[in-house]
Amino acid sequence: MRLLAGARGEAKVLAGGQSLMPMLNLRLAHPDLLIDINPADQREPSLDGNTLRLPALTRHRVLLEHDLVRRGCPLLAEAVRYVGNVRVRNRGTIGGSLAHADPTSEIGCCALASGAQVVARGPAGDGQSDRTVPVSDLFAGYWATTLAESEIITDVLIPAARPGTGWSFHEMVRRTSDFAIVAVAVTVNLAERNGAIAAAHVALAGVADRVVLADPELTAGLMGSTADEDLDAAAARIAERLEPASDVHASGAYRRRLARVLTARALRQARARAAGEST
Amino acid sequence: MTQRQITLIVNDRDHELWVAPSDTLLDVLHDGLGLADVRYGCGEGVCGTCTVLLDGEPVSGCLILAVQAAGRQVTTLRGLMGPGEELHPLQECFLRRGAAQCGFCTPGMMLTALDLVRRSVSQGRGRPSRDEIRYALVGNLCRCTGYTKILDAIEEYADQ
Amino acid sequence: MTTRDLQPRTEPYRIVGTSPAHHDFVDKVKGSLLYAADWQLPGMLHGRVVRSPVPSARITGLDVTAARARPGVAAVLTAADVPNNQIVELASGGLAELQVTMPVLAAGRVRYTGEPVAVVAAATQQMADEAAELIAVDYDELPGVFDPESARADGAPRVHDVGNTLVSWQIRSGDVAGALAAADVVVEGEYRTQHVEHAYLEPEAGVGWVENGVLTLRVSTQVIEHAAMIAHILGLSQSKVRVIAAYMGGGFGGKEDMTVEPYLALLAWHTRRPVRMIWDRQESLLASTKRHPFVMRYRTGADQDGTITAQQVEILGDAGAYPNLSPRVLFAAAACACGPYRVPNASITSTAVFTNNVPSSAFRGFGAMQVVLGYESQLDLLAGRLGLSRTELRERNFLAKGDLLPTGERLDTCVEVAQTMHRALGMLGAPPRPSGPGKLTGRGIGCNRHPYGRTIWFRDRASAWLSLQADGTLLIRSGVTDLGAGQAASLCQIAAEVLGAPLDDISIYIGDSALNPPAGGTFATRQLYMSGNAVLHAARELRERIAPVAADLLGVPADDLDWAGGHVRAEAGGPGITLAELAAACDRRAVSTAHLSTWRAEAGSFDPRTGQGDTFPDYTYGTHAADVEVDTETGQVTVLRYAACHDVGRAINPMRVQGQIQGGAVQGLGYALTEDMAIEDGYAQAALFADYLIPNAQDFPDVLVDIVESGEGKGPLGARGIGEPPIGNVAATIASAIHDAIGVRPDRLPMTPERILALLDGRHP
Repeated sequence: MRLLAGARGEAKVLAGGQSLMPMLNLRLAHPDLLIDINPADQREPSLDGNTLRLPALTRHRVLLEHDLVRRGCPLLAEAVRYVGNVRVRNRGTIGGSLAHADPTSEIGCCALASGAQVVARGPAGDGQSDRTVPVSDLFAGYWATTLAESEIITDVLIPAARPGTGWSFHEMVRRTSDFAIVAVAVTVNLAERNGAIAAAHVALAGVADRVVLADPELTAGLMGSTADEDLDAAAARIAERLEPASDVHASGAYRRRLARVLTARALRQARARAAGEST
Repeated sequence: MTQRQITLIVNDRDHELWVAPSDTLLDVLHDGLGLADVRYGCGEGVCGTCTVLLDGEPVSGCLILAVQAAGRQVTTLRGLMGPGEELHPLQECFLRRGAAQCGFCTPGMMLTALDLVRRSVSQGRGRPSRDEIRYALVGNLCRCTGYTKILDAIEEYADQ
Repeated sequence: MTTRDLQPRTEPYRIVGTSPAHHDFVDKVKGSLLYAADWQLPGMLHGRVVRSPVPSARITGLDVTAARARPGVAAVLTAADVPNNQIVELASGGLAELQVTMPVLAAGRVRYTGEPVAVVAAATQQMADEAAELIAVDYDELPGVFDPESARADGAPRVHDVGNTLVSWQIRSGDVAGALAAADVVVEGEYRTQHVEHAYLEPEAGVGWVENGVLTLRVSTQVIEHAAMIAHILGLSQSKVRVIAAYMGGGFGGKEDMTVEPYLALLAWHTRRPVRMIWDRQESLLASTKRHPFVMRYRTGADQDGTITAQQVEILGDAGAYPNLSPRVLFAAAACACGPYRVPNASITSTAVFTNNVPSSAFRGFGAMQVVLGYESQLDLLAGRLGLSRTELRERNFLAKGDLLPTGERLDTCVEVAQTMHRALGMLGAPPRPSGPGKLTGRGIGCNRHPYGRTIWFRDRASAWLSLQADGTLLIRSGVTDLGAGQAASLCQIAAEVLGAPLDDISIYIGDSALNPPAGGTFATRQLYMSGNAVLHAARELRERIAPVAADLLGVPADDLDWAGGHVRAEAGGPGITLAELAAACDRRAVSTAHLSTWRAEAGSFDPRTGQGDTFPDYTYGTHAADVEVDTETGQVTVLRYAACHDVGRAINPMRVQGQIQGGAVQGLGYALTEDMAIEDGYAQAALFADYLIPNAQDFPDVLVDIVESGEGKGPLGARGIGEPPIGNVAATIASAIHDAIGVRPDRLPMTPERILALLDGRHP
């Protein structure tokens, strides 16, 4: 933290390096100082009451394999299968991923849908000035966060999945391991008495300049519902609101269409999981 | 940029080297140590030709700085062979199955496959299925073979 | 569950027809093969090409002082420093062909984004890259033109002052207009294909140095004969330039034109120090040559019973900013535009047009590949119109030995395409059912006729030198270059077959313009045909010369001798002598055990005005078949099963043949479904390797392979070429399968999910 705060010239934090190092190799970034934080934290994921605490330096591979993650946030464990390849997952970190704020990020998408928060440490570095930031307040645009230049994410806090919570992750991608064209992460809670939907969160990647959480008013119509048609209608409403940009991989119109299809599929699967149906 | 002296442990041998902090592990292994089996392919970490095992785990050599690998075990393909260049059983399988054409992707393929089979067995999951092998190799691109013979060779090794 | 290998079919051969793992294959599996970038010399500098960031401009200022002054920089060169600043492609003889040369470094004008403008050498790569950024170039942008249809129109911006239409080929036979007018049915179609990139895993690379006054380049190249062009550029005598071809990490035609050679040559000659250059992957994506995008318009006429009576074809190819091999590519397209079918009345016009896009040139398939989508789509559409099955319609029209091609040539080898079609379909088994609601499945086929060997009027030849050494081992010297398909190893197998030397006792030295007899470049699927024949004949001629010595020693007629296992015997299994003993005996009798042989391909001529005459020596025929599933909500296409069968004449090494077919087919799947080097207004849209989607191990199926060995190829022992043919069938096969699944024909590549959805939407307006 001291190095970061006191740097003369441009300083960058190096964690997994899977996004930063390509920029250096391609001569797109020329930092004067690289601060390798890999040795800074050896902690493992832990369960703090009902909160899954993931140290920022937790590698993607650990998210995939660690028992606490598979039980505490199965949505994340599932989505990480779509992140990069073996080499990327051996080095890439959850903190690095969130700080990089790629608008197609599977991890960002799941963090949003799960109501996650990050702990951001400031220059004092002593934990006194730590802030807890909901991931819904973290992303600020293309590869930009609301973190200050001298702040580093130290932990990611995720409310552990409760019984009766359903989840689903769907992604459309041209080749396995590519950046997502569109990805959707959904969590759904059912009311105990009648199995109707009591809460639903839908997060989407690849549809805007950042990963987005669907406006609660768009899923409001689902509350108390038990019908698939309501899920499809909610998916359509969510997709309608989007204005995705076009790029070499997909047009905005196609992304919007995918958003509707994948959201509908994810809502159905999440609800089925919540109800304990085999999927 | 001021150079720094580090020790790299490559294929079980110590090497004391002067490196620039900005040198990647790929730069140092290929140009510094003359290891031709670690290769530049893209600089982005997507092609897999610079794959090495770092403390046993496959990583992209182009995305790690040499200084980050100081004091750690680096294994390249040649590190799998015996002292008299005896082939590792995985290499024998590649030969038998015709799993290389231009050969440029081959070291990366083999290191990744080796890691997969080792972990699959050590974690009690038995030998990986063909689908699991495909998934593990998704970051090792090949333009020549169409992958089939590579998958065959790895399956044959996994069966052993 | 591993896949089935092709069974060895050796009769009547011992080594040919088997699949030993030897020579370069072993070094590759060990990781010990040295590629072009695996070479260092004392005092070696690092090079960087500086490229234009705009597609069309005049250079109004070029200031290299700051770059030259940077510490560590040994040279900064521009057009003024190039003695003969022109790369000349020999005229190919097409209609109205323009004579246009390409500068090594742009002089006053740039014509595509990525065109080289300057070149730097410095003590480290980082210094070279920083110096490159210090070079100040002023570009005065000019209007550009970015597609061939616009470039052909009146008033289009001129890419070259002499005009935009580089060359046109025409083939005319019979009376197409009349035949179309009289046809019972006429099917029309327009097909568009995209720019694609070779994407070999080894980027362009090499090292240049001056040794004893000789400019020496050790590079990843398919053609060492470029030494002559390099000598011309530098104003040196051809004897003072040496090109050594390292084993390539893939070529596919992308290393057929010069890549790093002229820049290494300039820097090494200027600094008199070794220089290494490795292109960045992103630089290669941007600026290396690409496959020609084609616009193809077909009108096919047929009788009610399905007999094709006429084909009218117009092909327009985007040559990009400079000629390279465009005339040759569009010629091959013209020669193969009608496919493996009898067409009594044909009119084919094939035109290459300049644009301000990156230059297009050789890429596995070379024009004869793109047209498969055209002619196969027409066949399927015709079948649909006539209510005939696709296989039935094809069988009615397949060529046969003795038939005439539209150029008036008579096919003099057998055509087994029907057999390949039945085998390919047979491998697919029962059609699969859709995996769920909203999914549709379909089955498709694609047949092709693909040339092997160079265009006949180039009077192709290849030489090889063989020596039986004193210790009984065999040494082969050949100028062949090896791009990973066993070019070198196959020659060893052929020599082993003839002389009976064990493969481990054969050494081959390749690809050195100073030390090897010239074999011509590795392209046009010509090496097995040319160098294979050269080695076959050299081995046979050598054996003929030394056999009488063995015959005399063993007391039997020379024709009875059995050559195998490093021995020459009076009969198989009988008494004999070792090859070393034979070599010693020859030496005592002053019989030379070294032999040089030059094999010449058949000659011929072609009249570009009539489009009649000789084109290619022979063709390889094949069929692919595939089952696909289409997700009607997302448009995604999954290839469930894929099968390929080709008539290879004779499989010298069945495993390598199978590997070529699998590799070519998967490369074709990328072309069909995911690869697009999209260029908009002269700017590449996919800048990263992450954005250029080549097939990976997960999302593409195993290619099931079968071969036919008709034995009538013109290569050694009846072999036909197999390097290029398997990439041709794929796009057509997938389009055919998608058509079967959704009822609409894709006519544009790649067949992305978005395009499939658009086709589905069109079906339900």
